Amino acid sequence: MTNLRYRLLGIAVLTALAAFALFPRNRTVQVRGPDGVLRDTVQRHVPLSYGLDLVGGMHQTLEIDESKQQIAQKDKADAIDKALKTVRNRIEGFGVSEPAISKSGTDRITVELPGMEERERALQVVQDQAFLEFKITDKTGAFERVLPRLDAIIKERKLAPAAVAGTPAAPARGLEGLLKAAGDTGKKVAQGRDTAKADSASGPGALSNLIQQGQMPGEFMVEDGAVTRVKAYLADSVVNAALPPAKEVLWSTDSTIYGNKKYRMLYLVDARAIMTGEHLTDARPNTSPLEGTIVQFTMDNVGGRRFRNETGKHIGDNMAIVLDKRVMGRPPVIQGAISTNGQITMGGKDLAAAQDLALVLRAGALPVPLRVAEVRTIGPSLGADSIEKGMRASILAVVLVIVVMVSYYRVSGLLAVGALGFYALFTLATLAVFGGVLTLPGIAGFVLSIGIAVDANVLIFERIREELDRGKTIRTAIDEGFRHAMPAIIDSNVSTILTAAVLYQYGTGAVRGFAVTLIAGITASLVSAIFIVRTFYMIWLQRKRGIQALSI
Amino acid sequence: MLRILHGTNYDFIKWWKVMAAITVAFIVVGGSMVTGRIIRKEPPVNKSIEFSGGTLVHLKFAQPPGDASVREAMTSAGFGHAEIQEFGSPDQYTVRARLGTGEVTAAQGDSTAKLVAAAIKAKYGDGVTVLRSEFVGPRVGDELQTNAIIAILISFMVTLIYLAIRFEWRFGLAAVIATAHDTITTIAFITIMHLEVSLTVVAAILTVIGYSLNDTIIIFDRVRENLKKARKESLYVLLNRSINETLPRSIMTHATTLAATFALLLFAGEVIRPFSWVMTFGIFTGTFSSIYVAGALLLYIEHKWPREADKGTSRALAAERREGAGAAAGN
Repeated sequence: MTNLRYRLLGIAVLTALAAFALFPRNRTVQVRGPDGVLRDTVQRHVPLSYGLDLVGGMHQTLEIDESKQQIAQKDKADAIDKALKTVRNRIEGFGVSEPAISKSGTDRITVELPGMEERERALQVVQDQAFLEFKITDKTGAFERVLPRLDAIIKERKLAPAAVAGTPAAPARGLEGLLKAAGDTGKKVAQGRDTAKADSASGPGALSNLIQQGQMPGEFMVEDGAVTRVKAYLADSVVNAALPPAKEVLWSTDSTIYGNKKYRMLYLVDARAIMTGEHLTDARPNTSPLEGTIVQFTMDNVGGRRFRNETGKHIGDNMAIVLDKRVMGRPPVIQGAISTNGQITMGGKDLAAAQDLALVLRAGALPVPLRVAEVRTIGPSLGADSIEKGMRASILAVVLVIVVMVSYYRVSGLLAVGALGFYALFTLATLAVFGGVLTLPGIAGFVLSIGIAVDANVLIFERIREELDRGKTIRTAIDEGFRHAMPAIIDSNVSTILTAAVLYQYGTGAVRGFAVTLIAGITASLVSAIFIVRTFYMIWLQRKRGIQALSI
Repeated sequence: MLRILHGTNYDFIKWWKVMAAITVAFIVVGGSMVTGRIIRKEPPVNKSIEFSGGTLVHLKFAQPPGDASVREAMTSAGFGHAEIQEFGSPDQYTVRARLGTGEVTAAQGDSTAKLVAAAIKAKYGDGVTVLRSEFVGPRVGDELQTNAIIAILISFMVTLIYLAIRFEWRFGLAAVIATAHDTITTIAFITIMHLEVSLTVVAAILTVIGYSLNDTIIIFDRVRENLKKARKESLYVLLNRSINETLPRSIMTHATTLAATFALLLFAGEVIRPFSWVMTFGIFTGTFSSIYVAGALLLYIEHKWPREADKGTSRALAAERREGAGAAAGN
């Protein structure tokens, strides 16, 4: 009976390995405490990871936004690799426990944030390109000079909608007092307004009607309601081409209130940046009694020297702080040369916004703009609900299978059910070892494979019955039964494993979880149905040597 | 020893015409529904957001709000085209805004979920929670769809190759056609039941393929074994005998697998329900096709291209095939 001894040893080793693989172990994760600070925390876990659909959280896929920036095919892979690093840095600073950031395919980035629920905030932090530039606002009145031309072009190209003509002109009249028109600029803006009174908006003043001179050189004000229209005008290619050369038109990030109306600021700045965020070494959020929330930044020595030179040349000018082509706060006047330290005022935004900005600045700019290709958020309650339902379904399936097997195959059925316990243990252990993730479809796959797992035993038992019918002794019948059932078992299971493998190759996320569980389940079921049940029979036969009838 | 359907001798193959009529009718019903959808310029099947692209928001209300109320909130938010559906219970709803339908554009993209959630919050306040939301861009949707189709085709090829190695080509061909039949009837079932085709459902279809093939293989394995042993029987008789011999196993495996899918249908919840339905149906169609599609086809293929490797057998088979054909015609 050495054979039996080896078999028992084999089962013992397998079980020990499986138990070891599933033994709870310590893991250090970063958890944000109640005070909002990240700390290393040791947690004890069974090393089985749940998918996002079970724990809740956020899954996003990002791709290069080619509508914002054209990029050559050959540079894409490189850009994505660099972007991946930046995204990883940012997410690490964001403080989500166990984030998973990976490249998917050749041109996408997948970010998984378990437990993350602040959807918009997470999207913002990942997507912000965070390209920081410092630009001097225009003092030459270049925009005012081209306005009549722009109006003419808009009229020529019939860009202005006639139906809503009167509306935008009205607020402009009411705000005359705010206009600090200097020199001929004021005249021209005023002129445009006068014509608009008589004419429709498609008249000469279509654009100048909507734009008023701001309080500093190169600053203009557009009423909130007219912003979309002005954007549309400026986006037109012909209008765009007629803008002053070597200058750039940029919008401010937030609205400002004057009187009882909200305005967005529009700035004409030098296209050349005097400085970029490239040399930034640190950025910290802060609050100041005067300016509200701010982000203070530090440059390295090279950047500091350059910044000092450049700002030295522009004392008295206004410097726009531009983040991703949008002007942050109001451009301050350069009082004296700035070197390594500076600050960005956040306007009326809260500290969280300042924290996020500091974070993206520290992590560095993305080499290319990214946009969301796919985003899924699953609330924790839905995940918990899924786990509970999955558990209930599993239990019911197990109970039903036990009832069917034991009532039909009696003791042999009981052996198969006993092997089912090993089967479950092995499946979970295989998942743990290969880093499989348990998802909702995965649980369904597991439940399903409980039903399929006993198939091998059914095949074997039916064979044994046939052999017994032919008058063979119990021992021979069992031997022959196992032997003859084998080709069918192998063929049918290999074919299922092959389809599951295809599913793994082409599936994503949750479906992959399903494929992995199915493969693990089938493999485990082969071991338990063939090897373990066989061993059970051997023990049984050894104990009841003179047995006359097999309970099958 | 408890035994069901033991030592039976049913003439399964006799009924092949009736069965063919049933399955063809089923496929025609499903097919005409698909055609109807195509004529109405809808996608052929009810695609999930993963495939069509767009936004899905799954909401749970404290009080059942009723369809009209949710619809009203959506229309006032500018999502008049959104599909609103009760999800499992009257207090849960899903709102789907697909890409390319009226107001939802790719550029608007992921902000749709925010707008939908904001509109609902504005109306119901704290009485509603967002259980999940999904946004899928058009490129990702197209890719997932292509991948799903490729996955199904590749699994056909892989199984064909495997069968060609393990069995000879006649068996392989019959098994693959039977599997294709299962895929088609499953799609017909999905259309008739108005199930939503998602990645999980595609996974279920692939599992059905695996399961059905499994069933076919068990019968064919028996045929292969019986072919080696008994040479005096016609293939018709031999096939029937093989099906009868494997019948207890088919019933038992059926019982245990159905137990699992019923457990899923009853308890595993709404999210996984389309998967559970497809699997349950797949178990029936898989067993059906193993007998009536794979079996009947094997008979036909053997008739058309008789084996020649073994002369004695081929002669014997030819004689009995006539007998078998006579029996089939007689019924």
